[in-house]
Amino acid sequence: MLPKFSHLRPATLREALAALDASDARIHGGGTDLVGCLRDRVFTTERVVSLSAIPELRGIAATGDGGLRIGATATLTEIAGHPAIADRFTAIADAARVVASPQLRNQGTIAGNLCQKPRCWYYRGDFHCLRKGGELCYAYEGENQHHCIFGGDLCYIVHPSDTAPALAALGAVCRVSSASATRSVPVDRLHVPPSVDPRRETVLEPDEVVTELVLPAPPAGLRSSYLKIRSRNAWDFALAGVALALVFDGDIVRSARVFLSGAAPVPWRSTAVEAAITGQALDAATIAAAASAAVAGAEPLSGNAYKLALFEGLVAGQLEAIRG
Amino acid sequence: MTERTDYHIGGTPPETPGNDAAAGPWPATTVVGSRQPRIDAYERVSGTAVYPHDVSLPGMLHGAILRCPHAHARVLAVDTAAAEKMPGVAAVITAATPGADIPWYERDGGFASTLFDPHCRHQGEEVAAVAAETPLQAVDAIRAIRVTYEELPFVVDDTAALAPGAPAIHDGGNLIGEPRVRSRGDIAAGFAEAEVVVEGVYRTSCQIHAPMEPHGSVARWDGNRLTVWDSTQGVYDVQERLAAALELPRSSVRVIGPYMGGGFGSKLETGKYTVIATLLARMTARPVKIFLPREDCFTSTGNRPANTMTIKIGAKADGTLTAIEYASSGSGGAYFGDAGTGALPAYLYQVANLHAIDTTVHTNAGKARPMRAPGVPQAAWALEQAMDELAAKLGLDPLELRLRNIPATLQAGPGLPFTSQHLRECLVKGAEAFGWAEAVARPPDEGHLRRGVGLAAGMWFYSGGPPSTVVVKLHADGSANLNMGASDIGCGTKTWAAMIVAEELGVPLEQIQVEHADTATTQYATSSGGSKTVPSDSPAVLAAARSVKHQLIGFAAEQLGVPADDLVYADLALTSRSDPSKTLKVTEIGMLGRRGVVVGTGYREPNPEGSFTAPTCAQFCEVEVDTRTGGLRILRFLGAHDSGRVLNRLTFDNQVFGGMAMGIGLGVTEERVLDRQTGRMVNANLHDYKIPTMLDVAGDHACLPIDEPDHAFNTTGAKGLGEPATIPTAAAVGNAVARALGVRISDAPLTPRRILDALAAQRKEA
Repeated sequence: MLPKFSHLRPATLREALAALDASDARIHGGGTDLVGCLRDRVFTTERVVSLSAIPELRGIAATGDGGLRIGATATLTEIAGHPAIADRFTAIADAARVVASPQLRNQGTIAGNLCQKPRCWYYRGDFHCLRKGGELCYAYEGENQHHCIFGGDLCYIVHPSDTAPALAALGAVCRVSSASATRSVPVDRLHVPPSVDPRRETVLEPDEVVTELVLPAPPAGLRSSYLKIRSRNAWDFALAGVALALVFDGDIVRSARVFLSGAAPVPWRSTAVEAAITGQALDAATIAAAASAAVAGAEPLSGNAYKLALFEGLVAGQLEAIRG
Repeated sequence: MTERTDYHIGGTPPETPGNDAAAGPWPATTVVGSRQPRIDAYERVSGTAVYPHDVSLPGMLHGAILRCPHAHARVLAVDTAAAEKMPGVAAVITAATPGADIPWYERDGGFASTLFDPHCRHQGEEVAAVAAETPLQAVDAIRAIRVTYEELPFVVDDTAALAPGAPAIHDGGNLIGEPRVRSRGDIAAGFAEAEVVVEGVYRTSCQIHAPMEPHGSVARWDGNRLTVWDSTQGVYDVQERLAAALELPRSSVRVIGPYMGGGFGSKLETGKYTVIATLLARMTARPVKIFLPREDCFTSTGNRPANTMTIKIGAKADGTLTAIEYASSGSGGAYFGDAGTGALPAYLYQVANLHAIDTTVHTNAGKARPMRAPGVPQAAWALEQAMDELAAKLGLDPLELRLRNIPATLQAGPGLPFTSQHLRECLVKGAEAFGWAEAVARPPDEGHLRRGVGLAAGMWFYSGGPPSTVVVKLHADGSANLNMGASDIGCGTKTWAAMIVAEELGVPLEQIQVEHADTATTQYATSSGGSKTVPSDSPAVLAAARSVKHQLIGFAAEQLGVPADDLVYADLALTSRSDPSKTLKVTEIGMLGRRGVVVGTGYREPNPEGSFTAPTCAQFCEVEVDTRTGGLRILRFLGAHDSGRVLNRLTFDNQVFGGMAMGIGLGVTEERVLDRQTGRMVNANLHDYKIPTMLDVAGDHACLPIDEPDHAFNTTGAKGLGEPATIPTAAAVGNAVARALGVRISDAPLTPRRILDALAAQRKEA
């Protein structure tokens, strides 16, 4: 059951930003995560500010320099089915397509997907865990088969977004506004690791709103992809996922950006995989080396060592697939 | 000793009297056996069907139940002062409320607990409840109740429950009853005779029923008369339990539940929530509705327990089984659930020497309840995978090994004959339709995608039988009402019942209306569970229709001046054999017009003495495993089922597909996860608890009925199907995965984690 809150649905961004000055106001994009969090008492609020009636936050359009602008409230369904995204920013379409279920993709927004709360079953459940202001992470010594193998520090969640690693790999930048200022935050710097603050998922302030995502023009030779493995083939988060954005020169990988999902409390940049493939042709030896590199230094918990083999297999398979 | 699972509550099973019209088998059928959409399909899909969850009465209050958040705790104090003052709150009930000390959970002829037991033995035990004007006010109010708990040591791991020093959940320790032993022959001699022996330990995880409609009730009092709308599998069982709990005559308790959104066994038991609703309704003199939130359905309305099963099978070189030794343990939960699984290994195959023992223990978790073939899919997971291991060791095709061990008679007691039993046909015809021989001959895959096929057999032991009473009322216009007490728990009960009336009387299906599942207005039936609704109630429906026909023939004979045995009844008309010019439509029968209706009553007659009825089945599947990611795809599934006569081919097929989906849940995706640190369930929701979606079941599935009427069993020749449909599924997947990978994964479900861990162990060994 939901707490009592007022619901504002302004028609302009300016009004929305003004309304967000209230201390505990929460932003409503599509509501697919917000409503669940409120019902499950992950947090509470007295004011919900909906972005759903603001035309300037919608839409997907090419930018003058060959890039793309995705409005914050573009739905995952719109993104998954957008021809230019599928063609030029494939990883994003791949990711949007495998989020949740058709109903949730129809309702869920791209900015909401980036800013969603963790799915850790302790965090979502009736456990006063560290991230919710308690004293310990229950996953560390508990049921941690879905938890992180990288970047755990006091808290061992995995970041749940599929689109975040894809957007990060392609160099997307969030445009962020508050009533007083506007700034840009690259998606790969949007999320906060628990080593910095285990009670915060993004660098956004409570009065800030992601208004749009801007993608740079794809360089010649860019190929990108995203795939996740889950324990159920629909309506499930990643056990492991990988977003690849590789710039090829012939058979040679000139540059690479590789982000993992299901691996760490934030979308996890695997510089080790990038290093293993940059300057190389994706032959069997390189792919094997990259797969091993993907899990080098991983720190599995008691119940998730299987993720090492999983990431190795996933990265190898995706590198083979993108090689063509 | 024949196997009986008790699906009704207490007492000796009553009997129904015999029928007045002799009932032989149908010579041929035109409606029965065809594919008929459900007669209430429109109501169900359009939303006009009123499920208990939809019931809204004038002046109705909404209830909510406060539950213990701890795995094991004692309630020291309950402070309801704040809750009582909250807006909209009409009543608060706790253990201290007069009349709330109703005994609950039967043990040894008495009771082991109460409605609001201060000793909370699992997460989700009822502590207090509230009735308020709106559902939200009720929830706010239970949150405002202050409970002081003393947390107690807990045990949620059933293998630890019997260890020395484990917390005692009830006086007398954590063993539930005495271990059940099934034994025959000489097990040592059987293994001495064996030329090949296999042994293994297999485990399944705890599965939750998770029906679409949550558990709940609406209660209304009119003076001392109580009416309850309940999402239940059996209105008469709920009537009996409520009458006992509230000390009312059964005639004063009306339970209504014609539409209900699934139960799978979890709604056989009367819920505490139902009694709580009746108490709150009495306290407030207003109707009260309580439906459980989904989380509570996970923790507090039953489960299929996890089982650990150790099995050893011996066979001669030709595959003849010589001995089976089997030991199973599992948790009945904090109360007296049954985690036994020994029936299937005891009965599925011909084997002279057997020892099977079931141990059920208490843990601080929700009570186990019967779930779609209680114990049997778990046992199949062990037995049918062990049979494949045995086949491999013998160098026999798994199909052939099973064909060499088909039981000739019931493998227990005096060895009763089966009324009918077509396990061989299920295996042979199923294998042929599936293309088994071609599939097993295919060379193994080389790359990271590995395909494999698997099969498993099954048997079900509960046949159904009396009592059942059904009334058919034929109107003067030739339309009919059918009145029966059975619940339609999603299996199409109303439709096959109407089809039988249509078959027998020639009344078009659309002119038959069915009233059912209402203790005030419909006839006695036992609960719908145990795959026994069809075999229990279909003969009574047939007998009622035949009673109507018998009376019509009598009236027509008198009207036409011919002997009754000269008349042929067809297409709602009666015609003289000797003089076909003497003919009468049913609607032209004078007596029918004068009476307005003709009423026929049908009773379920006893099952034959000295025989045993057992539906059997074999399922076949093909899977593809990605050895890189542990991903498992179910490519195709085929179920070959001997359930006697097929009444409605459409619902028969769908029942099989649904059973397979649920079996894939057990085998591949579903598992209750209890936090080892707190004993609380961490995945008590429909996202974290993984029920298979359409993308997780076979894209290509098929049903092959072995459509042989069992007339030695009952007059319609139909046997049960609902439970057999899920018995072999998980085991068939397990066998297919083992064939695909060359490694057997003994623990279900086969998640990527278990598959990858098994592959890693395989590599390590190599």
